[in-house]
Amino acid sequence: MSPADLRREFEDLLYHEARLLDHDRLEEWLELFAENVRYWAPVRANLGRGQEDFSREHRLAHFDDNKASLVMRVQRIRTGMAHAEEPPSRVRHFVSNVQMLETNDADSARVASNFMVFKSRRGREEYLFVGCREDRWRRIAGAWKIEERLIILDHDVIENITVLF
Amino acid sequence: MAEWDELVDLEHRTVSPRVFTDPEVYRTEQERVFGRCWLYVAHETQIPQPGDFVTNYMGEEPVVVCRDGEGRVRVFVNSCRHRGMRVCRTDEGNTRLFQCPYHGWTYDLQGRLVGVPEYQEAYHGELKREQWGLLEVPRVESYRGLIFASFAEEGEDLDTYLGEMRWYLDMALNRTAGGWVVLPGVHKWSLKGNWKLAAEQFGGDNYHVTGAHGSMARLGLVPPGKTSGDQPWVRDFEVRTEKGHGWINLAIPDPPDIAEVVGAFQAQVQAEARQRLSPAQSELVGTVYVGTVFPNCSLLSFAGFLTVRLWHPRGPGRIEVWAWGLVEREAPPAVVELARAMQILTFSPSGIFEQDDGAMWGEGVEAMGGFYRRRFPLNYQMGAGHGRRDQDKPGVIHPPPTEIGVFGLYERWRALMSDATEDRR
Repeated sequence: MSPADLRREFEDLLYHEARLLDHDRLEEWLELFAENVRYWAPVRANLGRGQEDFSREHRLAHFDDNKASLVMRVQRIRTGMAHAEEPPSRVRHFVSNVQMLETNDADSARVASNFMVFKSRRGREEYLFVGCREDRWRRIAGAWKIEERLIILDHDVIENITVLF
Repeated sequence: MAEWDELVDLEHRTVSPRVFTDPEVYRTEQERVFGRCWLYVAHETQIPQPGDFVTNYMGEEPVVVCRDGEGRVRVFVNSCRHRGMRVCRTDEGNTRLFQCPYHGWTYDLQGRLVGVPEYQEAYHGELKREQWGLLEVPRVESYRGLIFASFAEEGEDLDTYLGEMRWYLDMALNRTAGGWVVLPGVHKWSLKGNWKLAAEQFGGDNYHVTGAHGSMARLGLVPPGKTSGDQPWVRDFEVRTEKGHGWINLAIPDPPDIAEVVGAFQAQVQAEARQRLSPAQSELVGTVYVGTVFPNCSLLSFAGFLTVRLWHPRGPGRIEVWAWGLVEREAPPAVVELARAMQILTFSPSGIFEQDDGAMWGEGVEAMGGFYRRRFPLNYQMGAGHGRRDQDKPGVIHPPPTEIGVFGLYERWRALMSDATEDRR
């Protein structure tokens, strides 16, 4: 497969994922993640240029989920009592700047993408979450699955995070 | 605004919606509450070395908390004396000087103005530099690693201010010789809502758990239909302390998968705690606890983590939450990693408990702000007169649910708000 074709394949996958999230198909969304997934979003800080170190040991994060905790987040929404999302917000994921970072191995790939997530609730309550993701995908039993998703949010002070990225 | 007795009615135990929504109440509160109280600013382990600093807020005032060359903690208003620009622009670090980026006025770690560009040419050598140092917050004291500062030149010292609350803070913070250390990074998020709604909940509202956190009960992560464990008065209780601080203790056992990781370390902490604390205090090691140090500093410990947080006021209808994660210094890496992961999963901005609390505070201030609704007070009567003193534990206690601690916050708030003597407007 040519590099351009491979990138298009992941673009399609990411658009598909965004559609699942925006249309409340969260159980199908979970299937995109490998059983050993790490899904994490380090906190941001105002530090000197180049001094922010996401991999610093034990640094706090807005998410640091495994498959079980991601499943729990979805189950929680399905209880109908996750009040911050009742009635559900209207959410739209925009994905762009899809770029292949590493494609040495036919069964694995690192893919970067930017996102904007718009959330609207009651009246004029509107939120925008912006950032990028660096995903490590692996082909497992013929299907691409996410083994690691690093979500780099562009906010130091963020809003109540009731959406998924 | 003089009718404070109508806003907080001590006899009927009600609070007016204006306490949470009125801009004039909010403005007065900045000076009479945040201007007078001891406010949490940092943990000792964030600034261990000379030159270490972190930035924070005291109410709405940006401050820099630093350790000077002699090892003394100082707190300065983070604003240049020349044109008001922020002099320290990063969240944390180590420095010898704070230099304003606007015109270059430079201050040392004791706040002295030590550098004025073109001092001779521009000021003809006449500027009295010794009068133009950074504004220093006059009083700074620590308790068990927690650094507090107060804008009030005079007043009770921190020990007196904390009063009965010290017993509970000792239980939480003084169990081991190593104490607690702060993990890197801060959770910061912005919510609709009034800061007092958050502070009161952590200071004594366990009644909300079955409602607001109903989703967690459905998933079996909190006991369904219950707001307490099975050891009322002894290990399940809420406290109204003097001076407006509140505390909740819950003997809810950790889920088996968590107990498996933290169990052995917890036993070690308990053994050490028995040497350092009273029997009634060491009995509480291993419980879930939540508390508020008046006005806006809360603690919460659950599943191996301790978070200390501030509910920064940002107008009557907005809160900016800053939350730190703490672990015991001797905790093994597996316990630290679990504690961190549990804080992130449960009580971070994406937390499966936290998200729903945020929704309550925000929609509440919207719904009670109208001219008509404002006329009718909110009910804080739960448990009134049923609390009692206990020979082992200070404060007035009662098993959950009760609102004695919650209303205690408004009793203190009302006393401060009705006292206009120190206003300098």
